[in-house]
Amino acid sequence: MIPIDIRPDKLAEEMLDYTRKLGQGMENLLNADKIDTGVSPKHPVYKEDKLVLYRYDTPEGITPKPVPLLIVYALVNRPYMADIQEDRSTIKGLLATGQDVYLIDWGYPDGADRSLTLDDYINGYIDNCVDYIRESHGLDAINILGICQGGAFSLMYTSMHQEKVKNLVTMVTPVDFEAPGNLLASWTRAMDIDLAVDTMGNVPGELLNWTFLSLKPFSLTGQKYVNMVDVLDDPDKVKNFLRMEKWIFDSPDQAGETFRQFAKDFFQKNGFINGGVILGDREVNLKDLTCPVLNIYALQDHLVPPDASRALKTLTSSGDYSELAFPGGHIGIYVSGKAQKEVTPAIGKWLNEHSAA
Amino acid sequence: MNNDSFFSNDWMETQRKYWENWMAMSQKAMGVAGGSPTAPWEAAMDHWWKALSPAAPDASKQFMERMMDQGKAFFKMAETFLPGANGGVDGWSAFTKTLEDMQKGFRGSVDDGGNSLHRLMAFWELPYDNWQRMVSSMSPMPGDFLRNMPHGDMQGNVDRLLSAPGLGYHREEQAQYQALMRCSIDYQKALQDYLSFNSKLGLKAVERMRSYMQDLIQSGKTIDSARAIYDNWVGCCEAVYAEEVSTPHYAELHGKLVNTQMALKHRMGIMVDENLGALNMPTRTEIRTLQDRLQETRRENKRMRRDLHALQQQVQTLLGGEAPKGMAGGPRTALIEGPDSKKSTAAKPAAAKPATK
Repeated sequence: MIPIDIRPDKLAEEMLDYTRKLGQGMENLLNADKIDTGVSPKHPVYKEDKLVLYRYDTPEGITPKPVPLLIVYALVNRPYMADIQEDRSTIKGLLATGQDVYLIDWGYPDGADRSLTLDDYINGYIDNCVDYIRESHGLDAINILGICQGGAFSLMYTSMHQEKVKNLVTMVTPVDFEAPGNLLASWTRAMDIDLAVDTMGNVPGELLNWTFLSLKPFSLTGQKYVNMVDVLDDPDKVKNFLRMEKWIFDSPDQAGETFRQFAKDFFQKNGFINGGVILGDREVNLKDLTCPVLNIYALQDHLVPPDASRALKTLTSSGDYSELAFPGGHIGIYVSGKAQKEVTPAIGKWLNEHSAA
Repeated sequence: MNNDSFFSNDWMETQRKYWENWMAMSQKAMGVAGGSPTAPWEAAMDHWWKALSPAAPDASKQFMERMMDQGKAFFKMAETFLPGANGGVDGWSAFTKTLEDMQKGFRGSVDDGGNSLHRLMAFWELPYDNWQRMVSSMSPMPGDFLRNMPHGDMQGNVDRLLSAPGLGYHREEQAQYQALMRCSIDYQKALQDYLSFNSKLGLKAVERMRSYMQDLIQSGKTIDSARAIYDNWVGCCEAVYAEEVSTPHYAELHGKLVNTQMALKHRMGIMVDENLGALNMPTRTEIRTLQDRLQETRRENKRMRRDLHALQQQVQTLLGGEAPKGMAGGPRTALIEGPDSKKSTAAKPAAAKPATK
């Protein structure tokens, strides 16, 4: 029995089909408009340095809930992932459940931001945004949704400012950096972080891109372009693909001192588990976190394995801890059709149930 | 640009050449005398793309090029498995022969003139290709400038050269150049170890592919398309890669690659700083000192504004007045618009009580 049965004429046919799709796709690529990202209407309400705090417009016919929601995104990549296209938008879904949504856009740090520390980000920028929203709404505490590294920031922030946070939602958030399958942590452990930051100042986005692509180099830099040929004849799908491609490679540089502390305290020393994370003059202790927590993770997450997120369960003092496991990946949890139906409504429902006066 | 000419003339010409080539290939497969199968279809595609690509937007151009490259890769791969195309008389012997040649290729003992086998193995260059692109993006040197530098043979002489003590007025400068050379050699060694690791993984991927095919035979299934071969090859490569890069050995290789690259850049930076200093121009070290001082001053400034605000509130309370609803403590550099001006037709939440801090 011969396992390969490819006849030359059949292969030629396949090749013709491929090139035909490429030819047709060229037309769509040439006609592709500028790639737009971030689809829900929003307006800036507060600025500090390069940070911009946005508030999203409430859709017609929806009455916003009294407790607003602040989304804290990661410093890595850009936050428009949460609102990437009309039919795949976590933010749009949240607005539909009545959340009054604010989002922090960290901007693109440059050399002048090299000295920003983790303390500046968490007890400075995030705290100022939270204060702005609290003051604007006349509230003692608001809801926070932290995404990926932004989830780790939110955990640190909430544990240090519990009185200002009513409910906390974490999405694909790394907590135990030594959980099996955490390749990023494994690779970072042997890196001389001080040398890297001392050499480069800010850590270039290209270095982060390389690291992320190295997780699955053959699929992410090869196979996906072959797969794409199959949908090249659909202008909408081409545009969606280019939009995602833009997001993947849209990696801001990381402020050097913040990267230094985050990489050393968490990737190398597993700070949430082992302690020793100092911000300003205080140590982060997740036991100081007492508010209700909804922890959402993705079962096929190749960046933050489920166990890395699930570790949160026993680390806080919250008496109201819930989990939501999503059958998808790190990105799919925001952009897949399934996520729009399952994840976002679940967050909205949980927040509404927990935000009653 | 007249697209019509490309799609109706050049493109058809491409297809014609392609068919001719496959006719020749089919004849060879059936034992009819003919020349060696080259790839005029590939040349024709390249010609077509070169003519058309200047009109494509940059983002689309890169995207298209990647699809062309990957398309070529997987059709080349299918070619090598064709009966008669690689010295085998039937599918299985062609397949076995191809796998054996691939193994030789990964060991460096076969050279097919950069043709099919080279393309198959070049797939394993994707991790390195990503690395060198990243290095190029943050260095004045091309990312692969040290790749082919001989290492082992000249090591002894270089060590002797680099251990020679500096003399006289220029001893410091000589020592710096020696340090730079050492860093270059260390990086080149780390790079070669990284490439060698990938080659070994390539061998394992070939074995995985062979094993997969054996499973196919036992299950009675066959592969009948280039795409299926390509997808299975990607699957084998990705599986082997995932297993091996999670080991401590790879973490060490990865760490050395990054650390030695950083050490080399760091050394270059020191020398650039020396030269800038000699020209009485600001050095990077000086600028970083200024950045650090400026950031510290801004932190102090923000702390003082926060303290001042708290004092104002206390004074106001002592005087029997209501605490001002001013800044909640955060140093706002620009308040763009208040929450009441939110552009929404929906109902607004009532301000329940003043913010507390």
